[in-house]
Amino acid sequence: MTTLPVLLLTIGCGGSEGRTVIQNRGSDTLVNVAQAWAERYGQINPNVAVAVSGGGSGTGISAMINGTIDIANASRAMRDSEIEAARAGGNDPIEHIVGFDALAIFLHPDNPISSISIAQLADIYGENGMAEVWSDLGVSVPGCGSDEIVRVSRQNNSGTYAYFQEAVLGESEFKLGSRDMNGSSEVVELVENTPCAIGYSGLAYASEHVKMPCVGPEDACVAPSVPAAIDGSYPIARPLFMYTAGAPEGVVGEYMNWILSDEGQCIIQDMGYAPATPVTCG
Amino acid sequence: MFAASALNERNRRVEGIYKALFGLMTVLLVVPVLIILGVLIAKGGPAVSFEFLFTPPTDQGRQGGILMPLIGTIWLVVVALIASVPIGVAAAIYLSEYAPENWLTRLINLAIINLAGVPSIVHALFGVGAFVVFFEFGISILAASLTLAIMTLPVVIVATRESLQAVPMAFREACWNMGATRWQTIRKVVLPNAISGILTGVILEVSRSAGETAPIMFTGAVTFLPFLPTGVLEPTMAMSLHLFTISNSVPNMPDEIKYGTALVLISMVLIMNAASIAFRVYLRGKKKW
Repeated sequence: MTTLPVLLLTIGCGGSEGRTVIQNRGSDTLVNVAQAWAERYGQINPNVAVAVSGGGSGTGISAMINGTIDIANASRAMRDSEIEAARAGGNDPIEHIVGFDALAIFLHPDNPISSISIAQLADIYGENGMAEVWSDLGVSVPGCGSDEIVRVSRQNNSGTYAYFQEAVLGESEFKLGSRDMNGSSEVVELVENTPCAIGYSGLAYASEHVKMPCVGPEDACVAPSVPAAIDGSYPIARPLFMYTAGAPEGVVGEYMNWILSDEGQCIIQDMGYAPATPVTCG
Repeated sequence: MFAASALNERNRRVEGIYKALFGLMTVLLVVPVLIILGVLIAKGGPAVSFEFLFTPPTDQGRQGGILMPLIGTIWLVVVALIASVPIGVAAAIYLSEYAPENWLTRLINLAIINLAGVPSIVHALFGVGAFVVFFEFGISILAASLTLAIMTLPVVIVATRESLQAVPMAFREACWNMGATRWQTIRKVVLPNAISGILTGVILEVSRSAGETAPIMFTGAVTFLPFLPTGVLEPTMAMSLHLFTISNSVPNMPDEIKYGTALVLISMVLIMNAASIAFRVYLRGKKKW
């Protein structure tokens, strides 16, 4: 993508009759709440059409660098090199924290594990980790004949993938051989149907058919929940970002203000995320 | 009268085995199609209704219908046709009726074959670089449709050229002998006799464009847009991308909506293909040779 001609362009005023389109692209973790915002905002302000796309945080960030979108969604912060590249193309990315997300660990309901520590997760997912089979963790999983730990992960342009690596693995890389899914829902679906599996994704993607162990040391572990993400007690919670090209003004500015208003923040809370600012919702 | 020799017997047996084998392969070909259609109709049929087709999706597609993606796909396909049919048909007429048999023509033919073989994701990246960024169309119907048009040009060119070449040479010679020019011959004799093949190519292009996801997902189609597009410089939702989205990134998505969306998409393509076959049969009946 970097070899493509990078030109500054402003999209936005695409339509006729004064309707403005805001292009919003990026994180799969945020795509659901971004759609909910777009849907509600379309009712409040019919002159602004917010077009939302997923694809992963990396997709949104590279579109910001190319200047083809107005707002990039990301479930990880932009790297310095990416900010430099965007500035070089004339788009100075401004960061807005729009909420927080608890990263839940998913297990098949038959899995007897009810708490898992960060060290155990690193043992399972990390390149230096020794856990290959469930008996390495001292359990046997009914229905998992091979005893093998089926590691479910995300594709490498995912912000969830990047955050998990940073928060759980630190400096080291992922162990090879994981099943890398393209979306959070796919992770949940695979774990639902695979007794040997373990996976991770934003809490908002949890279903009734997966088990979410509490995370932390066995005697003081914390179950993933919105309140635990807000008060910081859940160990793997992360901020969710939206980046605008330059300080948001005009319709983009109004939209960002609305997202950070009580109404916008109640929508993100309803979707299973923690709001960026404390709100009380009806 | 003729006692069957051992050799005759054996030949007949071998013949029977091969016939059965080839027949079996043909049946195998049909089985996946029937299974796909059967499953989609059984699981998605109940969801599809007039209301489903013409209601906007809400709650990320978990409720409501598929109005925006359906209309969006029609936009994309129509704009792609407007861009590609004139170019494709004109190129095919040149290649079939005017082009001398030389290295340049052979090179052009080779390029067309290669264009048809380019993976759709490569077309998508080309579309981003050329239409979205360089020509500054942005993420828009125009950029997506032009990407689709380039991707489907070989289909139109090849179908048109083949149907032009199927018109007997004697027709042209008779016309030239009456003093008609090349263009008059093409317009009055060749094109009317080739129209069924051209339309088949066009309809195949429509069905291919309607089903593609990769070329549009970076160039003009978006996951969600709560409005219908009002012009070609706006982005749009599309059936194929909508199906992809509701299948892999919306939690607790009702199955019947996924299957229903897939059923509508495959029906659009199948109806197009069936129309093309029916039209061809109709026109073939009118052929005078």
